Amino acid sequence: MSNNSNLYPGLNLGDGHGEAHEQAESTVFGFWVFLMSDLIIFGILFASYASYLDPVGMAGGPGPQDLFDIKSVAIQTGFLLLGGVAYGGVSLAMKYEHGRARVIGWLLVCAALGAGFLFFEVKDFITQAGKGGTPQVSGWLSSYWTLVGLHGVHVFSGILWILAMVAQIAIRGLDEVLKVRLSMLGVFWHFLDLVWVGIFSFVFLVPLA
Amino acid sequence: MTKPNTGELDPQDNAASEVRSYAIGFIVSLLLTVGAFAAVLADLPSTWAIICICIAALLQIITHLRNFLHLSFSGGQSREDLLLVLFSVSLLAIMAGGTWYIMSDLGGRMHDGGEAGHAAHAMPDR
Repeated sequence: MSNNSNLYPGLNLGDGHGEAHEQAESTVFGFWVFLMSDLIIFGILFASYASYLDPVGMAGGPGPQDLFDIKSVAIQTGFLLLGGVAYGGVSLAMKYEHGRARVIGWLLVCAALGAGFLFFEVKDFITQAGKGGTPQVSGWLSSYWTLVGLHGVHVFSGILWILAMVAQIAIRGLDEVLKVRLSMLGVFWHFLDLVWVGIFSFVFLVPLA
Repeated sequence: MTKPNTGELDPQDNAASEVRSYAIGFIVSLLLTVGAFAAVLADLPSTWAIICICIAALLQIITHLRNFLHLSFSGGQSREDLLLVLFSVSLLAIMAGGTWYIMSDLGGRMHDGGEAGHAAHAMPDR
């Protein structure tokens, strides 16, 4: 029974981790509440974007066909998907105590993939601004920059969080407190991947279809 | 929910099934992503392409929730987690769906003419 039941979102540490597992139940749940409120923010931004997605919202400025580079979006999607799966490595290495070197290794893989995603995203933003697609040009562009930019900021803070966790693991070892923090980070990191599914589908692909 | 805190780790076969869960999640997500991009790149009529993208996105979100966030939809999950997801989704449906509906309706009425506007607009064309 205990194998199948989850106390909180994300890969559960399991009974073997005793205190950390129990502490994570309330802490990760609280963090999940925060993420769901974050989801509402993203949802409202998606709605604004969809509302502006017509000739009036574009106000004579450049549109999706002029600005979006589907190849770059595909590359970003690949980076983020792989980054999300790589966090599975962190969770499993932590749960089955493969040692802190493995946990740090997987964390660095996640950070690198996240950074690759951000590199292409920022490159796209710069190209788009160069083509006259700056946020102040039209309502559609404002909502685009806000929504995609907010997600980018999330990924950036996720990378900072990962690096902070690497430093903490290196200094104090993989103790109970850090296990709970890593569980929260995992939920956050997978959540970003989830939001990106919405972004690449509805922000990029639907207008190009 | 019993928690026999024996201090022992779960058996390794549990680990294998968890690795498989991530692998399945990855493969399914990859296929759905490729499908969505292919729908755009192939010369489908745009309505069909959009339907494909929406279905792929929905399935991929469910896959992420199940395989990466390990939310179980059939019991075995702390009830609050799932209730919170469902509550957030219903809030979103009201707020985001409502916004989109109102704004597109308003846009339709103000710019290319709503039901009343249609008649007025259609006249000069013919």
